[in-house]
Amino acid sequence: MSNTRDQQDGKPMNCAEFQEKLPELFESGANVSHDEHLLGCENCSALVRDLEYIAQQAKLLLPIHDPRPGVWDNIASAIRSETNHNETLPSGKQP
Amino acid sequence: MNLASQTKSSNGLTGDAKRGIFKTGEVRMSAGPTQAKPIQHMRRNPPIAGEAEAIAKAQAGDAQSFEMLYSLHKRRVYSLCLRMLGNVAEAEDLTQEAFLQLYRKIGTFRGDSAFSTWLHRLAVNVVLMHLRKKGLPQVSLEETLEPSQEDGPRKDIGERDLVLSGSIDRVALERAVENLPPGYRLVFVLHDVEGYEHNEIADMLSCSIGNSKSQLHKARMKLRDLLRTGQRKEESIA
Repeated sequence: MSNTRDQQDGKPMNCAEFQEKLPELFESGANVSHDEHLLGCENCSALVRDLEYIAQQAKLLLPIHDPRPGVWDNIASAIRSETNHNETLPSGKQP
Repeated sequence: MNLASQTKSSNGLTGDAKRGIFKTGEVRMSAGPTQAKPIQHMRRNPPIAGEAEAIAKAQAGDAQSFEMLYSLHKRRVYSLCLRMLGNVAEAEDLTQEAFLQLYRKIGTFRGDSAFSTWLHRLAVNVVLMHLRKKGLPQVSLEETLEPSQEDGPRKDIGERDLVLSGSIDRVALERAVENLPPGYRLVFVLHDVEGYEHNEIADMLSCSIGNSKSQLHKARMKLRDLLRTGQRKEESIA
C-alpha cells in the first residue's frame, strides 16, 4: 500500500492533495489502486481507475489509417526527380 | 535470427534506384513471428517477414524493395503523423516527407535498433520539425507547453457520476485524442500510444522530463473529461 499521508503533519491526504500527488504516484510505478486515500474515497478511486483505463486503451490504438494511394505517387515522383537531378551531378554524389 | 543484424553495411542508394520504376501497387506481406529482443519498442515493432531483405536491397538501390518498405510501414507512419497533427492533409504531406527522408537516409541504417523503431523516430522528427517551422509553441519553449487554463484538466473533487472503465471504445478514444490541445496530444501520443519514455520525449520536445510527465497526466485528465462529456451526450440522446 502506498502512503499518501501529508509529509508535514502525517494526516491522510484529502482529495485535492491526493490528486496533486497523482502524477508522481503514477510515474513511480507504485500500485496506486491500493493507496490509503483511495480505500476511503470512491471519487478518487474512480478517477484512478479511469486514468489507468485510458492509458491501457491507448496502448491498443493500432495504426488503422492508410494514406491515399496518391501519397505513394508523390513519393515516387519526387524520387524520380531527385534521381534524374542527381544524374546530372558529378559522379559520387548520390542522394 | 536478429532482424537488425541482417542489415550490416550500407551501400547508400546507387544507380539502381534510377532504374527503378515506382508503382502504386500494393505489396502484401504477412507479419512474421515475434522474436524476443531487448529493445524498447519491440512490443509494437515486431520483426516483419521479408523486411530485412527488403532493407538490404533498398540500401543497394532497389526501387521495388523501397516500395515494399513503404507498403509495410505506410499505415504506421501515416497513423503516427495523423495522430500527432490531427489533420489529414498535413499527415499525408509529412508521410510523404518521412519516406523521402527514408529514401535519402536508408543507407545510414545500421541495424542498431529495429528498422521500424528507426523509421518511426525519423517520422516523429519530421513532424516535430514541421511543427517548429510553423512556430507552434508547444514544441519550442517548455513554459508554453502549457495549454490555456480553459483547455486544461480540472481537479475532480466531489464529482462522482460516470465511470469510464470498460465503457469506451477505440473510436471514442481516437476522437477524444483528436480533440486534445496540441501540446497534450503530442505527449500523449508519443508516450501512451507510441510507447516512448519520458526521457526520450523530453529530448524530442526540448522540455524537461518533469514537464513531459506533467503534460501526460494533464492529457489523460483532459481525455477523461472529453470521454465523459461524450458519454453524457450519448446518454441524453438515448
